[in-house]
Amino acid sequence: MTLLEVRNLKKVYTSRFGNHQVQALSNVSFTIEEGEFVAIMGESGSGKTTLLNILAALDAPTSGEVLLAGRSLTSIPEKEISAFRRDRLGFVFQDFNLLDTFNLRDNIFLPLVLAGKSYREMSERLLPIARTLGISEILDKFPYEVSGGQKQRAAVARALITHPRIVLADEPTGALDSRSSDELLNLFGEINRQGQTILMVTHSVKAASHANRVMFIKDGEVFHQIYRASKTRHEFYQQISDALTVIATGGGRDA
Amino acid sequence: MRKGFYTKLAVTNLRKNAQTYYPYIFASAATIMMFYNMMYLFTSRAVRGMNDSQAIRLVLELGVWVIGIFAFILLLYINSFLIKRRKKEFGLFNILGMEKKHIARVMLIETAVTALVCIGLGLAAGILFGKLGLLLLLKILRMDAVYGFEVPLRAVVVTVLLFGAIFLINLVYNVFQVHLSKPIELLKGGNVGEKEPRTKWLIALIGAASLGGGYYISLTVKSPITALLLFFVAVILVIIGTYGLFTAGSIAILKALRRNKRFYYRTGPFISVSGMIYRMKQNAAGLASICILSTMVIVMVSSTVSLYAGLEETLRSLFYREIQVNSDDVIPEEQIGRLEQAVTDTVRQSGLDIRNPFILRHVTLLAVRDGNAFTLVRAASFGDGDNLALLIMTTAEEYRRLEGVEAGLSEGEALIQVIKGEMPGDTLDFGGYTLSVQGQADFASMLRGYEAQKDSLPAQGYLIVTANGEDLLRVRKALDPEKQHDPGYNFSYQFDTNAGRDAQLELVSAINASLDELGLPGHASGREGARETYLTMYGVLFFLGLYLGALFILGTVLIIYYKQITEGFDDKERFAIMTKVGLSLDEIKRTIRFQVLSVFYLPLVMAVCHIAAAFPVIRKLISGIFGMTDVSLYVTCTALTILVFAVCYALIYALTARTYYRIVR
Repeated sequence: MTLLEVRNLKKVYTSRFGNHQVQALSNVSFTIEEGEFVAIMGESGSGKTTLLNILAALDAPTSGEVLLAGRSLTSIPEKEISAFRRDRLGFVFQDFNLLDTFNLRDNIFLPLVLAGKSYREMSERLLPIARTLGISEILDKFPYEVSGGQKQRAAVARALITHPRIVLADEPTGALDSRSSDELLNLFGEINRQGQTILMVTHSVKAASHANRVMFIKDGEVFHQIYRASKTRHEFYQQISDALTVIATGGGRDA
Repeated sequence: MRKGFYTKLAVTNLRKNAQTYYPYIFASAATIMMFYNMMYLFTSRAVRGMNDSQAIRLVLELGVWVIGIFAFILLLYINSFLIKRRKKEFGLFNILGMEKKHIARVMLIETAVTALVCIGLGLAAGILFGKLGLLLLLKILRMDAVYGFEVPLRAVVVTVLLFGAIFLINLVYNVFQVHLSKPIELLKGGNVGEKEPRTKWLIALIGAASLGGGYYISLTVKSPITALLLFFVAVILVIIGTYGLFTAGSIAILKALRRNKRFYYRTGPFISVSGMIYRMKQNAAGLASICILSTMVIVMVSSTVSLYAGLEETLRSLFYREIQVNSDDVIPEEQIGRLEQAVTDTVRQSGLDIRNPFILRHVTLLAVRDGNAFTLVRAASFGDGDNLALLIMTTAEEYRRLEGVEAGLSEGEALIQVIKGEMPGDTLDFGGYTLSVQGQADFASMLRGYEAQKDSLPAQGYLIVTANGEDLLRVRKALDPEKQHDPGYNFSYQFDTNAGRDAQLELVSAINASLDELGLPGHASGREGARETYLTMYGVLFFLGLYLGALFILGTVLIIYYKQITEGFDDKERFAIMTKVGLSLDEIKRTIRFQVLSVFYLPLVMAVCHIAAAFPVIRKLISGIFGMTDVSLYVTCTALTILVFAVCYALIYALTARTYYRIVR
């Protein structure tokens, strides 16, 4: 079943006095099926972040449409957009975005508190997630008391606790050392196997190699995409790497 | 680099920091204006020419000092806040290659520009509104308006010097701040991940105990003298208590709230309580100061307002009749007769009538009571004010004359009436000489006068009737054996005339002239004469109360404004994260309202508590020292002051919440 459908997305930024225009996305279309783990790759300035912001309903497209489970994001009234974001989407950021004033447990509870859930329900939901992510022991610690990898796992728990339709991850390994990165990516794989749809934006070939499908964005368009299918991760890594080289050296389009 | 560069940079900097610098400029200009105005009144010819100019100028000078000191503290505080915010900016300059001496130069120009603008604006406004202040003062003192316009050079010079110095001190402080820190620290500014504060139970406990102690003193104090002695102890205890509770108590309470899961895990409390636990660490002292400041403002304004508004009532309780003539000390019966005659004659010569005369021969002493025993007050024993007793002693003859009742006393016997305090017992012991109490006296007419003055009496007061003058003399001798005692009484002659103000004033001076001429030891005074003195004193205090009240409100509001802005900058990142996680703008607004509201009104609520608890002691002070005995008037004035204060507060709250929201968004 198609979960996310992006149709002819275009985003043009206009400078304050309207005399200078920058086209961030020119024409982006793709679909994501339920249960997929998709990575989006592209160089700085290729429009990755803009795309993610639009998918997250933090920004509105100039034209085009985003449908999540058949519902158009642009049709959601302003009042409901926060609730929609909170209930349907989960976010994982490069710099964790945990609040220093909360311990990890309360950080994870944040979206549920905003949704008005009871403490009991929150605790019940947290239990299995914390176990999967291996953070049960450190829930009472504050963000400044734990390592980067632990912080990011807490952030993943915060993203998952609302049972979102899709998790949007923005360079989730960007601020982690290689061991923590591996652990996190393995976790992503496991969560995905349990049925969670994930869309990840990344620079890292290694991170992308954990996905089922990789899309390459260049100059505001989906330039190319490859499926992992039955390849080993090593083979897939090689393939992504080659694709990047071709794109970077200005190779022609092949689909 | 060219010269113009620094000036340009300095001006751009000021403009860029408008959100924080404009209020600073406004505050400086306002305090400069207020200082100049008070200085203007102090030095102006119009005030020098007034009747009681010495007393008035004394109070105005006090005002000058208070405003000067307050301005100093306020501007230093705001400046320290401003420089903290700008450290990052200066760090960037430093890293981009500007040396610290260049930065100092930019700061110098910035300060010079700010100082010039502030002093210029402040003085201009001061000169413009100075006359208005003078007219207000004249109106309060019920004096005629004066014409003409003056700009006392001394006022201008002192103002420029004082505020020039304040700006200079701020500049030196800022240069030091930048000089002492490393660029990397400058870049980081204040935002280093802080640990959660611990609950300091000991401080919370000390705070609660001090506050309780302060309140206890106020609620249990009996006499004005004790009140005066213990007032400052109570004030210091309450100040300690306030700081203790705000710093440690607040964190204890917030943590308790956090433990209450059903309360805590809701959008508003969740965000605010967690944030405030950290916030309290830096802000508790500030909030406590605001609380103390607000309390002082409200007490000061309400006291001075009620003194001024209760002037007539005070005069009536100080003077039962329009005019009173009192002997200077105990005088013999023969002199009493001549004194009475002299008064009657003078009144007749003035063509007036004596109405409602009240005449009393009495001996009034201040004694210390211990059970049934009374001893004379020595200066050193003032400490135990709660045992202090006012003894108004008279004879059976006077009792019969006044109340028409035969006391039926023989020597060694007495009647007693309690004005205030408890009944001593069946016998009264005066340093060895004992009177046995035969029953209660009932001075109906006299008590009416004392009823109004009850608050201003010492802890206890008794009217005692002795058999005759000889017995009274024995009591005096026994109480103070070292002194020579002659028979006689204090003599008090009080009466109305129903004449006009000027006639009464003339009569009082005529009586005094005649007593002088005859060499009689007595003195006349009148309500009308007293009104002038009291009006001047209370009027100028009232003026000062209003003036300082306005200044303190300005100060309080600015401190809170800057506090909220700081918090806004600190919270910006938190709210950004929460928006990403799904906090809507409406929820942000609601949370901010909750947070700002609690920070705003917490000190005010606490201040109102303080005032309520301080009510008994303050009432005793203003009635005992100033003779203002109208309690309901004082309550009304206090309530009105609090109301005005709260309204000012609400206005600033609205402004602050909006600014905060704009920063966070």
